[in-house]
Amino acid sequence: MLRPEQVEEAVKTGGSTRRPDDRITPRFKTGDAVRVRNRNPTGHTRLARYTRGKRGVIHHDHGVFIFPDTNAHGRGEKPQHVYSVRFEAAELWGEPTSLRDAVYIDLWEDYLEPA
Amino acid sequence: MNGIHDLGGMHGFGPVVREKDEPVFHAEWERRTFGLLTATLALRRYNIDEFRHAIERMDPVRYLESSYYEHWLHALETLLIEKGVLTQQELNNRTAELAKGVS
Repeated sequence: MLRPEQVEEAVKTGGSTRRPDDRITPRFKTGDAVRVRNRNPTGHTRLARYTRGKRGVIHHDHGVFIFPDTNAHGRGEKPQHVYSVRFEAAELWGEPTSLRDAVYIDLWEDYLEPA
Repeated sequence: MNGIHDLGGMHGFGPVVREKDEPVFHAEWERRTFGLLTATLALRRYNIDEFRHAIERMDPVRYLESSYYEHWLHALETLLIEKGVLTQQELNNRTAELAKGVS
């Protein structure tokens, strides 16, 4: 039952998918070089196509969140760390591009491998 | 997802055209779709990832031809039927009634 007084909070937060992060050890830390795994799943993913196979650097650890790729299919929450990863524009878009530009994208740990 | 929808979007559609003084909703049905989606999510009929996946499963041509809230409505209908809250027949009947002007 959704009570009227709960609606504003529900709309504002969208229902958090954050989970306690004190028991799940992060595989990466700020500054680590990573490569995005080249995954092309038939199911749901929050992995942007243009990042697949690209190299980046861990910028920030957001903490632990539900993994959408399993949660969309009734295969459990599989909570894991989500990182802001910095990609140089040239890595994503090739030449010619601005050397000053970078893109920061939030990625779940299962999307990443050490580079 | 092997489908038309990609989290990162794609090139090829030209510049984003900004609407001056854009309203939150362009029509009453958009407002209602937002409310229905929010309420059914809050009731845990399905989760946010199932919702996004339902949009991803849309027919590619239909996806590109339809608006943001049409994607929401499509996902809402898909999930309410899959979760057994509505049947396709009930949805068809109600749609036919509304088309005839019955409120």
